[in-house]
Amino acid sequence: MTTLVARPHRVRHAGQRYQWLVTAHYRLMVMMLVFLGVGLLIGLRLSYLAVFGDEPRSRVAGTLVPLRGDIVDRNGVPLARTIDAWSIGVHPDRLLGKPEDLAPQLAALLPEHDAGWYLAVLRSGKSFTYLRRRALPELVAKINALGEPAMAFAREPERLYPQTTLAAHVLGYTDFDGHGVTGMERVLDDRLTDPAQRGTPVALSIDSRVQAAMESELFAAMTSQQAVGATGLVLDVATGEVIAMASMPVYNPNKVGQSPPEARRNNVTQSVYELGSTFKPITMAAAIDDGVVTSMAKRYDATAPVAIGRFRIKDDHPAGRWLNVPETLIQSSNIVTARIADEMGQARMEAVFRNLGFDKPPVIELREKGRTLWPRDWGRATTLTTAYGHGIAVTPLHLATAYAALVNGGTLRPATLYRVAPGKAAVGRRVFTESTSARMRQLLRLVVMQGTGKRAEAPGYRVGGKTGTAEKPQAGGYSKSVNVSTFAAVFPMDKPRYVVIAMLDAPKGSAESSGLTTAGYTAAPVVSRVIARTGPMLGVIPDANKEIDLSDLLPLIWKPKGHE
Amino acid sequence: MSGPSMIPAPLAQLPWKLLFLVMAIGGFGLVVLYSAAGGHLKPWAMSQGIKFMVFIVMALVIARIPEQIWKAAAFPLYGGILILLLLVEMLGFVGGGSQRWLDLGIIRLQPSELMKLAIVLAVARFYDILPAGQIRSWIAIWPAALLIGIPALLVMVQPDLGTALMIIAGGLTVMFLAGLPLRLFVGGVAALAIIAPLAFFFGLHDYQRNRVLIFMDPESDPLGAGYHISQSKIAIGSGGIFGKGFLNGTQSHLDYLPEGHTDFVFATMAEEWGLAGGVLLITAFILVVRWGLRVGQRANSRFARLAACGLATTIFFYVAINLMMVMGLAPVVGIPLPLFSFGGSAMMTVMICIGILMGIERSNRGRSRFD
Repeated sequence: MTTLVARPHRVRHAGQRYQWLVTAHYRLMVMMLVFLGVGLLIGLRLSYLAVFGDEPRSRVAGTLVPLRGDIVDRNGVPLARTIDAWSIGVHPDRLLGKPEDLAPQLAALLPEHDAGWYLAVLRSGKSFTYLRRRALPELVAKINALGEPAMAFAREPERLYPQTTLAAHVLGYTDFDGHGVTGMERVLDDRLTDPAQRGTPVALSIDSRVQAAMESELFAAMTSQQAVGATGLVLDVATGEVIAMASMPVYNPNKVGQSPPEARRNNVTQSVYELGSTFKPITMAAAIDDGVVTSMAKRYDATAPVAIGRFRIKDDHPAGRWLNVPETLIQSSNIVTARIADEMGQARMEAVFRNLGFDKPPVIELREKGRTLWPRDWGRATTLTTAYGHGIAVTPLHLATAYAALVNGGTLRPATLYRVAPGKAAVGRRVFTESTSARMRQLLRLVVMQGTGKRAEAPGYRVGGKTGTAEKPQAGGYSKSVNVSTFAAVFPMDKPRYVVIAMLDAPKGSAESSGLTTAGYTAAPVVSRVIARTGPMLGVIPDANKEIDLSDLLPLIWKPKGHE
Repeated sequence: MSGPSMIPAPLAQLPWKLLFLVMAIGGFGLVVLYSAAGGHLKPWAMSQGIKFMVFIVMALVIARIPEQIWKAAAFPLYGGILILLLLVEMLGFVGGGSQRWLDLGIIRLQPSELMKLAIVLAVARFYDILPAGQIRSWIAIWPAALLIGIPALLVMVQPDLGTALMIIAGGLTVMFLAGLPLRLFVGGVAALAIIAPLAFFFGLHDYQRNRVLIFMDPESDPLGAGYHISQSKIAIGSGGIFGKGFLNGTQSHLDYLPEGHTDFVFATMAEEWGLAGGVLLITAFILVVRWGLRVGQRANSRFARLAACGLATTIFFYVAINLMMVMGLAPVVGIPLPLFSFGGSAMMTVMICIGILMGIERSNRGRSRFD
């Protein structure tokens, strides 16, 4: 600046000019200071970024936190995830190409609709229509290559069920806004969308391997038996954890809209059935607990039907003799079960079922729960028929929890779909005595060894259980030919771990079952195969040398001459 | 500056220090673009190199234009570019959607880009004409405000907020240097503090508002519009002190970093060259700006002084806004790093800037020599 001041001869109004030179100098200095400050700020920021890195690891990971948390099975296998999917849409009002040219091209790439449909959409003049909510990048690239600027592609978070139909009814599905509509998606909606928690997956009690085995066996049986539906359940008797829960027909939660509404029904918790003879062990246990049945050797008359008013309770295969308790279950005698219930009386029978929660919807996290058909008035007829599972309809889950209580020492625990940490199982509530439970293990094992449940045996797994073949209610009464065939099993019987239930709705019989539709021929083999397939995964080691001690019961069982 | 006599005088008189700086920046840019393309000249480095050569020659030609001509042409230039801006605006209406350029066949001319320079020249010329005694009067303010306001508004509706802000900033800088009362600027800043929130809610387009919001918290939308800033900061941070080395950047090569060759080229550079490369580049730019301010400081006429300082400030704004944006200190406004980012517009503007500055330097040097 000094040089400027040193040229006074160039200045006409020296004072004024000097004044603005000083101002300009001063202003320029201020500017330079500001520039220096900004430069310094940038330099500091750069150093900070270079030295510390802007993003600590957790923040980088933070970019991977899904909008909705994952659901995994008990072993961490992903069952539901949120991914960034492509969606394809079109703005028909911004179309540049000719709709009649574009429609066939779209129909070729997106074959779910025909060219006419696309033509109608393109000519609609709407501002936006989705063509496909979820698309692969290759397809997006192909559509983009059509060169139509009105096509719109967006990345949208999409709920993906990588195992497709596996455990569909347990998982449920979400709506377009990403909120759970059914299943655990609905139950866990708040938890899965909570920003603080959604980074951690929710572990269900389901074991996807067991679930897969159950589903495959049920599907095979349903197909070969031409059944209209099939239902299966594996329940941990000690914790109440649902290891597998299957309901057929099934839907694909990835494409919910393409399945019929009835497929979305979870038959395990929503549908109620008259479960037939599977109720007999429950009645028997109650009778032992109540002191009505004092000895396993006590015999009851099964030679003639029991008459209640205009009904007559009969057996399918009349024994024609007096049966003791083990024989009653082995032969599944309606008559003897009814007689025992008669001895117990209406009040106590009703109390047993109430105690097991049969008067209320099943206890589980799912919201899809069916109301049971609880008898309106408990007359003598009700007491006698409910004893063998008629006139009362409950869900398969009710049956499973009751069976768990029958064999686990008598404790009824609520079923849960969450993985239970070791030692954290619900306390539960005593419904049978310890000794009755021990007795029931023997009796259920006998049914499989010698009775109607022979086909449920899986070698080495000490399976016990009970068949139940109920005639399906129809308009005006029961159908003689259409059954709901159930098998409720427990294994291994010497130290029960799991309840396995398989149910076939209206099986028509197959060559394998000799055309028979009863549970012993339809549902029991499913249980056998599921146990044989999943036992090792569940930590049950097959052992042909292990067996529950039946020495006190075996002599009681009558055998025809020559078979002793 | 006087070299040996065997070198022709015009060549010897060139500001070699500056030219060396500019070429260093441009050359470094080519190296980074080469790496950003995964070690290939195509698609960026080759075309950028050619543009660079063309524009530096153009700058040297412009440098031959004496200050007097710029002085005389300041208003006509401003008027012409204003007409071009209007033309673009009208074509934009006809063509549908926003349009910022005129297609001249060879290049796409962005009048808003040239306006950044024209505004500086026009405002400088205005204060040159204004008698020094009237600098504190009303007449010193409103014509300049009009000169700035009209093009800024036209660019704002294009909509190009970044360029509009740069036009305003360039004009205001000249006003500030011209010696308008300080209280005007202090008051202006205060008024801005009040108006800014209002403008934010009522004056900005949705996408512009979004950018500001995301600037405040880029992590709120790390995979959406905040992605640029987040990825850019990760890239810069991952470079560390000395960088990952030439051709070794992963963020940019694996396309994690969007616009890694244009607006966010600094992040690409910093990933491979680290803090060291960043400091060198910033230093080079500071030296260029300092040279420009010195040209203004040494100039004899009021016009030359204001124009030179204003032009140097324009270069500074380019660099500062881009770097602040890349480092997450400013919203993403789409201002490239001049001479360094791939693309011709900003390079052309800055090269013209440098050309005019060289011309002013040359004129003043010449005059002082004959004194």
